[in-house]
Amino acid sequence: MSLSADLSGTKGAVHAHRPTGTAMAQDRGRPRVSRLGLILVAPALFLLSCFFLAPVVLTGVFAFTNMSTSTGIGAGEYVISPNLLDDLADAGLSEEVVTAISAETYEITPDGIEAARAGGVSADFLRDIEGLLLGDGFDTARGIETALRGLPSAPRSPRSLKLTAEFFGHSVLNQRFDSAQELTEALSLAVPDVDAGIRSEIVGASYTGAIYTTENFTYLATQPSTMRLVANTVIYVGATLSIFNVGLGLFLAITLFYMPKRVSSFYSTLWLLPRITPLVLYTIMWKWFTWEDGFLPLLAEQLGLPAFNYMKGSVITAWMTMISVNGFVGASFGLILFSGAIRAIPTQQLWASEVDGATRWQQIRRIILPQMRWPILFVVSYQTLSLLSSYESIWLTTNGGPGKTTTVWALEAFKTALSSYTGNLEYGLGAAMALVLVVVGLALSIIYLMAFKFGELVGRPRIEF
Amino acid sequence: MTITTTFVRRGIAAALMSSVAFAASAQDVTITVWAGGSGEESNYRTEAIVMAADIMEREAAIRGDELNITIDAQLWSGWEDFKQAFSLASEAGNAPQIVVTGHEDIGTWSNAGLIVPIEDYVYFDSWPLNSIYPNLIDVATYNGQIWGVPQDAEARVFYWSIPALKAIGWTDAEIDSLPQRVQDGEFTLYDMLDVAAAMQDAGIVGPEMGFAPRVSNGPDYLQYYQAFGGEMLDAETGKLLLDTQALTDWYQFFADATEMEVVSETYLGTEWDVWHQNVAAGNYGTWHGGTWHYAQWENGFGLEDFFGTVQYTLFPAGNANGRANSITHPLVYLVGSGATEDEAMIAAELIATASEPRINALHAVKSAHLGISEVESTVPLYAENRWLTAASERLAPHANAIPNDPDFGIVWDAMFEGLEASWTGVMSVEDAVAEAEATVTQALGDNVVVR
Repeated sequence: MSLSADLSGTKGAVHAHRPTGTAMAQDRGRPRVSRLGLILVAPALFLLSCFFLAPVVLTGVFAFTNMSTSTGIGAGEYVISPNLLDDLADAGLSEEVVTAISAETYEITPDGIEAARAGGVSADFLRDIEGLLLGDGFDTARGIETALRGLPSAPRSPRSLKLTAEFFGHSVLNQRFDSAQELTEALSLAVPDVDAGIRSEIVGASYTGAIYTTENFTYLATQPSTMRLVANTVIYVGATLSIFNVGLGLFLAITLFYMPKRVSSFYSTLWLLPRITPLVLYTIMWKWFTWEDGFLPLLAEQLGLPAFNYMKGSVITAWMTMISVNGFVGASFGLILFSGAIRAIPTQQLWASEVDGATRWQQIRRIILPQMRWPILFVVSYQTLSLLSSYESIWLTTNGGPGKTTTVWALEAFKTALSSYTGNLEYGLGAAMALVLVVVGLALSIIYLMAFKFGELVGRPRIEF
Repeated sequence: MTITTTFVRRGIAAALMSSVAFAASAQDVTITVWAGGSGEESNYRTEAIVMAADIMEREAAIRGDELNITIDAQLWSGWEDFKQAFSLASEAGNAPQIVVTGHEDIGTWSNAGLIVPIEDYVYFDSWPLNSIYPNLIDVATYNGQIWGVPQDAEARVFYWSIPALKAIGWTDAEIDSLPQRVQDGEFTLYDMLDVAAAMQDAGIVGPEMGFAPRVSNGPDYLQYYQAFGGEMLDAETGKLLLDTQALTDWYQFFADATEMEVVSETYLGTEWDVWHQNVAAGNYGTWHGGTWHYAQWENGFGLEDFFGTVQYTLFPAGNANGRANSITHPLVYLVGSGATEDEAMIAAELIATASEPRINALHAVKSAHLGISEVESTVPLYAENRWLTAASERLAPHANAIPNDPDFGIVWDAMFEGLEASWTGVMSVEDAVAEAEATVTQALGDNVVVR
C-alpha cells in the first residue's frame, strides 16, 4: 500500500543511479514497486487485513443488519410457527389459510410404508404398522405418535418414533427449512389450494435470520440516551486526557527531569506500575482502595469526612474513580514520552539560560514547553483514540454505574452486542455503535495527521544523498 | 416436503433406526453441561447429570450394552458471561449438549436454532417427567413445543427484620399477620417505606438501610411492575405489553423511596457480598430476594436464627391497581442443537433421569430452590426442610413466570434502564417512562401493545 510504495520509492532514490529527463519524471510520478519491498511488508499487510480490515469490514456489514441472538449470526432458516401464524392472522391472513397450514394430517398408506422402509425403519415395526394401522388417519402429530408407540415393535427412542411418523404425513408447522424454495415446495404440498402469492408472503415472513436494515442508525439518531452517551464519552476522554495523560504526565516528566538521575529513575519506575500491572489486578487494587472498608473510606472516617464506597456510592466519586483509574495508566504513557522529548532538548540551551539568570519556571515556559508541542500533540491524538475505544477498566470498576451515569459509548457498544443479563445480544446495533467509533476515530486520525503535517514527516527528503 | 429435505430426514431416520438401542457395541460419549447463574450451592444442577449418567450406564449394562458417558460440567456464577458464551459457542459449533438456563431464553434460542425441542427425545407422559408440575411444563413450552425440562422453581420473597419491627413497636400478632395483610393487599409498598423510615428514625437501622432491594437487574424488579398493575402480556392479543401507568408508578415509588432516604440514589450496583453480609448481620430493615438466598445466608454468611429474626411475605402490592405477587424464574435443562442425534438422545435421557424426585431434591434442599413435582415434596430430605415447606405453602401458589417471548428481553432491558435513570436522578420519572416507551415501540413496532 502507501507504506510499501514509500519504502520502495525511497530505496529507488537512494540506490539507483540518477535517472534523467523523462525517466526521472516517470520515476517521481509513479514509484517503482520492488518485489522485495512487498515481501517485507507482506506480514504486516496480512496482520493488518486479519486484525483490522476484516473486523472493520464485518462491523460495517453487521451494522446494517438486525442481527441478534434471536436471528443468529449465520444464514437463517424458514420456520412456520404457531406464533408466526398468529402474527400473520393479525396482519390480515385469512382464518382458512391459517387453519390449513396449522393442520397436521397423517394417514397410514402403503406409499408411506414403502417410503419408511426405504428410509431405514425396521421391518418388524413396519409389519406392525401395516398390520394394525393401515388406512388409519390422524389429525395431530401426537395422535399418530401415540398410536405408533402402542405397537409391539415400537422403537424405544421417541426421536425414532417421531421421525417414523413423518413418513405418513404432511405438516410444515415448526419444521425448519434451509431455504425458501424448500419451504415453498413443502407449502405447495401441504396447502395446494392457497394462492401462490400468499404462500410467498408467508415464506418471506418465516425467515428467522437477520435482514439488512438502516434501523440501527435511525435508532441511535433518535434516542435521547445517545446524547447522554456522547456527553459521557466526551467528558471522560477530555478529563482523562487533560488532567492525567497530558497534565500529570507533563508535570511528572518536568519534575523528574530536574531531580537527580537516581531519584528520577526510581520515581519513573514507580509511576510505570499502573501500566505494567495486569488490568484485572490493577482494578481490584482500586476496589481495595475505594470500597467500604478500603483505604480511602477508612482514612476519610478518621478525618471525619463522608466515608462510603467511592467507586459506586455517588455519581461524582464514581466519575473521579473512573477517570483516575484510566488516568494513572495514561499518565505513565505521557511521562515516558515527555521525558524522552525533554531529554532530547539540547542541554546547551538550558545552560545558556542559566548563565542568563533564568529561573526554573522561565526555563520550563520559554525553553521546554515550546519544544513539547509535537509530543503533546502526539499524546493527545494517540490517547484520544485509545480512550475512545477503551471500556475494560470501566467495566471492571464502576461498570458504567451508578445507574448508567458513567457509561461511555464503547462500554455501551460492548454491552449491547456481547453482555446482556437478559441474553438479548444485539450484534447489529452493537456493530453500528462500534462503526460510529471507527468513523469518529478515522476522522480524528485524519485531522491529527493534518495537524502533525504527517506528509512532511514521511515525505521525500529535501536533500538527496 | 422437498426431495432434499426428505432425503436428509430419511437419512437421519435410517441412522436412528440403527442406533435405537445405543448400539450393540461399546459406545463412549462425552456430554458437556453448562449451568448459568450457579454458585457453589447449585452444583447439583450439573452433579445430577453425573448421577444420571451413572444410572444410565448401569441400565445399559443390564440391557447388554456397554455405554460409557463422560460428563464435562461447568458452573457459571453469573448470567451475562454465560449467555454470551453459550450464544457464541453455539454459533461457532462448540456449544455444550446440555445447558441449564432461565426459561426465558427458550424463545430467543429456539428462534435462532441454538436448541432442539426436548419433546422430540423424551416422553413427557413417562416417569419421571409425567410427575412434573404442569405449570412448570408450560413455562418450558414455546410455540407449541416443549423445549426443556424444568430444573427447579422458586419464589421471590419480601423479607422483614423481626427485631427491627419489634423495636418500632410492632407486636407479635402484627408481625404474624403481616403475610396475610400483604397477600390481601392491605399492606402496600408505601406502607413498607413508612416502616423502613420509622426504623431509621428510631436508630434501629442505619441511614439508607431501611429498605434494601436487589442490587442488580433481575426478575425481582418486574414484581414492582406487577405490584403497580402492570402485566407483561396482553391478555387479548397475547402480545408483549408495556403499561406506562404501572411503569410511572413503579419509577415514582423509587423516586419517593430515595426522597425518604430509606435507600440511596446510587444503591444499584452494590456488591452482592456486601448485601448478603448486611442481611446476615441484621443491618437492613426490609429487603427482597429469592427463596434460594436463604441457603446462601445460612451456609455462607453465618445467619443463624432465620425463623426467629426474619419474617417473609409475598411482594406487597404497590397501589390499588396492582397486586401482591411473586415471580418464579424456573431454570430449565435444554439440549443444544450442536449435539449429534445420538448425543441429543443421551443428553435428553440424562436430563429425564436427573429429574427423578430424589435426585432433584438434592438440588432443591442444598440450594433452597423449590421442587419440580408434587412427589418431590414427599422425599424425606425435602419434606423435613422447614424453609422449603413454608415457602411452598405461602409463596409458590401466588408466583407467576415471565414470558418466553424472544422480544421480552428488549422490553425488560428498556424498563430497567428507565428505572436506573430515574432512580439515580439522571432523568425525571416522566422522561424515563417516555424513553422506555420510545425504545420499546421503536424496536418492536406492532409486536408490543403500549397501554
